[in-house]
Amino acid sequence: MLTWRGHLLAYLLTALVMVYLSYRLPGWLPGDFVTAMYADSHVVLGAEQEAALRERLQVDGGFGSYLLALARLDWGTSHAFRVPVSDLILNALPWTLLLMGGAHLLATMLGFVAGVEAAWRRGGRIERTSVGGMTVLQGVPEIGTGVLLLMVFAYHLGWLPAGGGATLYVDHGFAERALDVLRHLALPLATLLLAWFPGNFLLARASMVLVLGQSFLDTARAKGLPPIRVRYAHAARNVLLPMATRFGLRFAFMVTGALVVETIFSYPGLGTLLFNAIGARDLPLIQGIVLFSSLAVLGINLVLESVYARLDPRVRVYGRAL
Amino acid sequence: MGARFDPAAGLGRRLLADPWFVTGASLSLFLVLLVVLSPWLSPHDPHDMGYAAFAPPSADHWLGVNDGGMDIFAELLAGLRNTLAFGLVTASAGLAIGILVGLASAWFRGVVDQVLMRVADLLLAIPAVMILILLASFYRPSPWVLALVLASLAWPTSARLIRSQALGLRTRPHIAAARQMGGSSAYIIGRHMMPELFPLYLIAFASKVRMAVFMEASLSFLGLFDPTRKSLGRMISDALPFYYLDVWWHWLLPPIVLLTLLIMAFTFLAVSLERFFDPRLRAAWAD
Repeated sequence: MLTWRGHLLAYLLTALVMVYLSYRLPGWLPGDFVTAMYADSHVVLGAEQEAALRERLQVDGGFGSYLLALARLDWGTSHAFRVPVSDLILNALPWTLLLMGGAHLLATMLGFVAGVEAAWRRGGRIERTSVGGMTVLQGVPEIGTGVLLLMVFAYHLGWLPAGGGATLYVDHGFAERALDVLRHLALPLATLLLAWFPGNFLLARASMVLVLGQSFLDTARAKGLPPIRVRYAHAARNVLLPMATRFGLRFAFMVTGALVVETIFSYPGLGTLLFNAIGARDLPLIQGIVLFSSLAVLGINLVLESVYARLDPRVRVYGRAL
Repeated sequence: MGARFDPAAGLGRRLLADPWFVTGASLSLFLVLLVVLSPWLSPHDPHDMGYAAFAPPSADHWLGVNDGGMDIFAELLAGLRNTLAFGLVTASAGLAIGILVGLASAWFRGVVDQVLMRVADLLLAIPAVMILILLASFYRPSPWVLALVLASLAWPTSARLIRSQALGLRTRPHIAAARQMGGSSAYIIGRHMMPELFPLYLIAFASKVRMAVFMEASLSFLGLFDPTRKSLGRMISDALPFYYLDVWWHWLLPPIVLLTLLIMAFTFLAVSLERFFDPRLRAAWAD
């Protein structure tokens, strides 16, 4: 098993491989690069633009200068929007962080508490129906829930906006602006919550059930500790590690779900930006978003590796990561 | 055999008593039948654009006609077939890699194990969807190539599952006996370990199909496949712009329902099989 430094090295290497792939991929396209990239793009290049592009692309200082350019946030220019790719990404990023981060935090916390409580009431009717219901819900994809929520709450009931991140061209005070953002956030957030909560709930419950029979809980109870303390400080602590591990395993796939949900609600985050870029075959933008989000996911996974060690002292003592 | 404990004894009967398994199995059977019987169920060619656009459901067009003049029911069946085929191909290829890697890791231990499991960890940390998007938008490969790429990115979960169980198998007496009698590594892995872990493959397969179907629906929804290729995800994205028209219930809803049923079927199968075969979970489910 690797030490922390080994992890860091492995992740860095992977990141380098991904950057290298993204650097080499366009060159492997058949035929001339500019023609290949623009052949069926919706953008028509003028003669000057084509010459300029050729010149820019032919100045190839190799992989090293590509890396430097990446570090300087020089990610190329979008064909369709004619602005630097980095600007587009940085504008969209806060929305995605708000949506994914909010949904993940809520799904994890609610799933944790509900799972622990369900396990505590094992065998009861509520526990049985909730386990059944959550298993069913686990079979419903984000596309399905998203479209249904859109139909019901945005179209038929008209309670919530059908798309976007905020109302444009209005002068709001801070409180109104915040409320407006929340109203736009509600449906995509609910969709992701419905997709992510069941897994967290079922895992928390299953891990908690495994802990319940153990004797250290009898000791805690015999000491006269209040039930809530026994339940959370002693028993539920053991649920945290499997939940964090699951997040690490699932995160790469959660990105797919968030991508689809953003598209359904045309939420102004990275997912919608990527969707539009795909529609316009805006290759530099696609490349930029793909590279950026892959590196971000890698980075978060690296952070998680160190979180495991904090959650589980056993991992730390042996310098192991599970 | 004889008096030895056989976990597979009466398994079929116990599985058939499990409502999750029965529901999952009958749902998938129903969907497979829909695909197999599609030539008889729908007389129309899903690519034929010769009908009156936006025609409501009728005896001839059970679910009406879409904006491009194509029969929706025929499209639905073709989409279901493509989505399911993508899932099955990805899951089979991914499972095959997972079995080989998992068993090799557990049997050889040492450096082989270290390297393979490290690669598995890193692959789990890379969002597969991003790699697929990059490949699909630059090269527009056929869906089968994308299915294989997805399989080559998605094997780690099953490899880990299989490895963890194979580690326990490794020290069992009959394996040691086979080793003692001069069985090669390939022989022991192929003849002893591979068949004995069979139930695990079912769990891994069901959850991989579920993942791959979800992936295919998402990618086609985002428009990364050939636009003429029928797929449930593509149908949803085609119908979504018209959600405020009356067509939603016979155009937008059917692909959503079929996709949900498909994912549900494999979720239930995975959940039920896991409950029966994964010893770590057995305690959690016993009630």
